[in-house]
Amino acid sequence: MTEKKLGLPSVVATGVGVVVATSCLISLGIGSSAIGMTFIISMVIAIILNILFALSVSELNALMPNLTGGLAQYTLACMGPFISIVVMVGGYLLCNTIVGSAECAMFGNTIASVLPNIPIPGNYYSVALIIILIITNLNGVDVFAKIQNVVTYTLIGSLVIMGVLGFLKLGTGEVVAQPMILSTNFTDITSLCGLAFFLFIGSEYIVPISNRVQNARRNVPLGLIITLVVVFGMETLLVFGFHNYTAWADLGASTTPHILYGTMLLGNFGTIWMALVSICAVTGVINTIISSLAYIADGMAKINLLPKFFMKTNKKGAPYVGILIIGGIMALINATGLSTTSQLSFLILTGVVFWMVAYIVTHLNVLVLRKRLPKAPRTFKVPFGPVLPIIGSIGIVWMIYNISSDPATRLNIYILCGLIFAALTVYSVIWVKKVMKLKLFKPIPLEKVMAMENDLYHVYHNANSGDHIPQLEK
Amino acid sequence: MELSRIEIITNNSKIEALKNAMGKYGITGMTVSQVLGCGVQFGTQEYEVEQKKEPTLLPKDLVMLVLPTKDVPAFLKFVQEELYTGHIGDGKIFVSAVTNAIRVRTGEDGLDALCQN
Repeated sequence: MTEKKLGLPSVVATGVGVVVATSCLISLGIGSSAIGMTFIISMVIAIILNILFALSVSELNALMPNLTGGLAQYTLACMGPFISIVVMVGGYLLCNTIVGSAECAMFGNTIASVLPNIPIPGNYYSVALIIILIITNLNGVDVFAKIQNVVTYTLIGSLVIMGVLGFLKLGTGEVVAQPMILSTNFTDITSLCGLAFFLFIGSEYIVPISNRVQNARRNVPLGLIITLVVVFGMETLLVFGFHNYTAWADLGASTTPHILYGTMLLGNFGTIWMALVSICAVTGVINTIISSLAYIADGMAKINLLPKFFMKTNKKGAPYVGILIIGGIMALINATGLSTTSQLSFLILTGVVFWMVAYIVTHLNVLVLRKRLPKAPRTFKVPFGPVLPIIGSIGIVWMIYNISSDPATRLNIYILCGLIFAALTVYSVIWVKKVMKLKLFKPIPLEKVMAMENDLYHVYHNANSGDHIPQLEK
Repeated sequence: MELSRIEIITNNSKIEALKNAMGKYGITGMTVSQVLGCGVQFGTQEYEVEQKKEPTLLPKDLVMLVLPTKDVPAFLKFVQEELYTGHIGDGKIFVSAVTNAIRVRTGEDGLDALCQN
């Protein structure tokens, strides 16, 4: 085994890299400008629910360790193939490809705004970045880890420094005198919890790389928690900085509030620095999305939820089909300029609802396996019995209810979610019945799901007919 | 003090990590044998399609050690967590009573025979 193992710093880098996106910095600006410092209360509620989710993921990872697909395998073993496909294709592959495309578009727009004298459209920058990250990911995990660590720790360092400068009023810009709190109304605070939830979403991307993590039993749960705490710390500092250097009204009106903050804090230097932070954020996110979605697709193909070609790997061990398809779709969306439309932002919110549903399913998976395998050894177990997974599930339902403070937007999101669910249902039913030839809601035994992770399983089994390959037997 | 014998059957690939982990746990003595055997699957590998009709003996390691009975539950939890992968073939653990243990060199018996002088 020549492949290097990833340590705790790499685990945290992967988590922070995907959680802190440019869209998160923008959401942070929107939330803060709406109610002021009390947005931190919304963030606290959101991080508590995300930590509960991280605990559930850690228990599932302890019970079914070293799986490349993560939530797909857990759900297949608990709720059967239908829900697995709907949740994973809708909540992860579809949602994250769209979110990633929008991230790239924001990156292109940021670069174009920072370099107005160069007559290159923003989407050229976006596509170039995607192509570079496709190439690096095709070179395997070592390159991935190197990029991820450098990018993410540059990002963390920059945001912490800019947050501390703003918090301590040490910037070169003029300190703004304005109220710290715009609203203490609990309804206002809770209506922004959906937005705050998006600030912490995605830490579970650590799970698909768990089989490459040193001492995964300790580092995966620890990495999940550290990721969320680091992100919360950075974003809280930034909210204080926003209060000290940017007028709430200007912050709310800006399409790039993070760039505005950089400018108000440190002038032109701050603009360029925050632009570099945006580059780090988007590179971290897109790098993680391309890599992790490719591994998730690989894991889903291993358990027959997706076509087998997603399992193909190149000489470096990278699942190149998934990398090329996911990266290619993102490049295509950016090349057509589709990701700059307002409809796509709406689609992101819809995708996040599916993502949240995946979180609820994860909590339920923990409860199902507690019932089914009560005595199985768990190196990590969520404390207080079923209480925390239940609280986590209820909390996320509440988040979905608060996905938008505007009732009309919320209704439209629910309608679109319903339509996507209908389309995924058709795909899932056809795939499960015609290709997998299984019952829709019958769970696959845990030991069989684990066996599917073994490459030899697919040599011995023919997915379509279940035929034996006798020549390989001795 | 009552004594219990623990016999752990596991894959050859896990023995080195298990031995090191037991050393850190505080186990001071163990006996390891290379054995052949099969479980309820008759030696069928997890990736094979059909279960074997006749037993196929696979190479395994058998770890034997004797502990004070009061320490057995905590040790069993530790070993289970150490060996667990979720895959078929993680192993079996057998626990049985020991009526006595004798250190030949000194004639000590019971728990004294298992501890350092």
